[in-house]
Amino acid sequence: MNFDAMKRRQFLKTGAATAGTLLAGSLMSSPAWAAYPDRNIDVIVPTRAGGGADRLLRAVSSVWKNHLNTNFEPGFFPGASGRVGYEVYMGKYQPDAYSLIFGNMGPEVLNWAVKAPSFDINDYFYFGRVDTDPGVVFVGAESKFKSIDDIITEGKKRKLNVGTSRLAHPASIGILALGEEVGVEFNLVPLSGGKKTVAGAVTLEMDFCVLTSGSVIAAGDACRTLLVFDNKNLAGDKLSNAPTMNDYFGTKLPPMYSARAFGIHKAAADKYPDRMELLQKTFKDAMNDPAYKEAFLKSKGFWPYSNYGGVAECEEFKNAMLELGGRYRSLLTGK
Amino acid sequence: MSMDVNLAFFIDLFFHIMGMWWVIVPSILLGLIVGAIPGFSAANTIIILLPLTFLMEVEVGLVFMIALYCSSRLGAGIPAILVNIPGTAGAAATPLDGYPMAKKGLGQRALSISFVSSIIGGVLTTILALVTMPLLARVGFYMHSVEMIVVMLFGISLIASVAAKDMIKGLIAGFFGLMIGSIGADHVYATPRGTMGFLELYDGVPLIPALVGLFAISEAFLVIESGSLLSKSNVQNVDNASWKETIKGVRITLKRWYHVTWTSMIGLIIGVIPGAGAAIASFVAYQQSRTFSKTPDAYGTGHYEGLIAPEAANNGVTAGTLIPLMVLGIPGGATAAIMMVVMQYQGVPTGPRLFVERPELGYGVFMAMLVTYLLMAFTILPMSRYMSRVTMVSTTYMSPIIIAFTLVGSFVPREYMFDMYLAFAFGIIGYIARKTGYHVAAILIGVILGPLLEQYMLRALKMSDGDPMVLFSSSLGNILWAALVITLILPAFLKRRRQPKTVE
Repeated sequence: MNFDAMKRRQFLKTGAATAGTLLAGSLMSSPAWAAYPDRNIDVIVPTRAGGGADRLLRAVSSVWKNHLNTNFEPGFFPGASGRVGYEVYMGKYQPDAYSLIFGNMGPEVLNWAVKAPSFDINDYFYFGRVDTDPGVVFVGAESKFKSIDDIITEGKKRKLNVGTSRLAHPASIGILALGEEVGVEFNLVPLSGGKKTVAGAVTLEMDFCVLTSGSVIAAGDACRTLLVFDNKNLAGDKLSNAPTMNDYFGTKLPPMYSARAFGIHKAAADKYPDRMELLQKTFKDAMNDPAYKEAFLKSKGFWPYSNYGGVAECEEFKNAMLELGGRYRSLLTGK
Repeated sequence: MSMDVNLAFFIDLFFHIMGMWWVIVPSILLGLIVGAIPGFSAANTIIILLPLTFLMEVEVGLVFMIALYCSSRLGAGIPAILVNIPGTAGAAATPLDGYPMAKKGLGQRALSISFVSSIIGGVLTTILALVTMPLLARVGFYMHSVEMIVVMLFGISLIASVAAKDMIKGLIAGFFGLMIGSIGADHVYATPRGTMGFLELYDGVPLIPALVGLFAISEAFLVIESGSLLSKSNVQNVDNASWKETIKGVRITLKRWYHVTWTSMIGLIIGVIPGAGAAIASFVAYQQSRTFSKTPDAYGTGHYEGLIAPEAANNGVTAGTLIPLMVLGIPGGATAAIMMVVMQYQGVPTGPRLFVERPELGYGVFMAMLVTYLLMAFTILPMSRYMSRVTMVSTTYMSPIIIAFTLVGSFVPREYMFDMYLAFAFGIIGYIARKTGYHVAAILIGVILGPLLEQYMLRALKMSDGDPMVLFSSSLGNILWAALVITLILPAFLKRRRQPKTVE
């Protein structure tokens, strides 16, 4: 063995060892081998920071992070009634279970029924419902209408103007369904947002309004609730002890909820079933954790509206919204 | 809690709030900074500091938010005057006469006029709000969509005034602005129009990028062609300016107390209407001020009253927007909506119950506003001398700083890169418009007021099943229509009357 040969052999050995170490290192650090999750999870919120979704997300993620052993990083992409956030999520985020969307299944799914997005709506699905907040019929404190019967009686004499935050909203669908049931035609007037809808009722510009109950509860004595689109009035006197539509009219309408839920790319669930399983399990654990109730109440949430739901419940709700949106499409689009 | 609400109560409350100067003064300084940065606003800042606000005692939290709100409104006027950057839509009418003054080397005087008219406007409207709150809260019950259409037309008619020197170009600019304003989903069926496939335009053209692009970036392009914002003689003006300039500004404004009063009242009344805001108020006040002025042709060249009107009005709005929240429980604007969240978080009722259960908080909010304006007189007025020196900075440094600040400001409200590109595009549009003699203010009035007019118009038509006669269906609306016609005809009539009669 001469010196040169030894050097060459040594060089090859060292090179191979280095390459092996680097290869192993790179394989170990690749997401496929690493324990999930090994970094923060992005949560796309299709509404503005500081709103109800933001507060609710903070409450959930403050507990969920302990079960999943990672942090959640919210990113807010408001605009176009939620479309911008969904388009960003579906278009710009990798389907690797490191990004989720935190949306509102009611109005946002109705959006798809009215106008399809650029992506296939079956390319994502909701897997974790956080809350359900029913739509209500309400009037301003100074309104002459004291009960839902007063509205129907007046509605048979003239076409009443009904304020709503936007046409493609579960509460709008609820009032259209009520109109069909009792043979009264209502004129839906979109007022561009919850605050303006409450103002429309309080200032008596509208005959009455429909909206998600949380905003009506927040308005306090300024509003009076006359009907709830749910199976039960969970808020009781906060919603003026108003009857539910199904109880009062004997209908079988599904609840008209705004329902906040986490969604994920379908491709991520297909490619990483273990990750999906972990997400679902830890989400459910977090929702059942007593610390979550504490965080929810601290964010001034209304606890009876906290309502866990898994993939099946979310899918059922999504399909119901798509079906209702399709049924009332012409009224919602004017076409 | 029950207590007697009488004069002693208000005096006691005044001194109690005055004792909270340690919250108010830092909030004023913070508000001035965030107000002066384009794109930031009191609402944004309060959202960022929301967790901190939740930790404060409710009274301290409310005083903090009020001081921030008032001072940021005033702060937005500073860059509008000195470098033609209105920080918010509410200050969009301020540079019309404020910036020409700054270019003449009268920035210190302009700031002084702006501060004093803002403070007097704020104090007067706050006192009026305290005294007539229940009455003013009723305004929202009468000012519905039809009435608001006419109010918008008052503002939009300003395009004709701005275009007075070159009517065709002015009207083209205004029409162009209205067209840009119509981009986005329609207000009824959410059908996208003119969005060119950009989802970011679905909610319409965002205001801040349009504002800073048309005014500030185009200005930065223009001043880069010259060495300084000021001519040599005007540099001399700034160099020679002493404290007397500030005092002169105070005297000019005090001499026009009547003008400050009625334009701030316009702000208060428009502010009370839920959903209306400072942008509408300042344009309407400017338009009204010009209509009844003896020297309407001087508007746009650095006219004192042209600066007083929008500043007094947008500070009048501040008190107005809180009235629906306090009395009815419905927030009149974005900042009021966040205050409502804080109050609810702390278990404080809004609406009529507030004044029964916690009168010290209900009235305290307005008292905090009053104290803030009074303290601002001592904290901000002395700063005008030093602030005005900004106009002396060489454009070699100033233009890039303006462009950088405004691009960041465009990004802040929605955090979209798209909005920065949009601001730049508006900057180019503004630059071309200025170079070819089209008035950017006319474009901007269309961009700001056009979508609001359309929103009220479509709502009124939807409510009437498409019957256009709905526009003349309300008594108050008809009175406003008559007032609009009068204010459109009056300037020509007055001008003719003032012209010396010639003997044929």
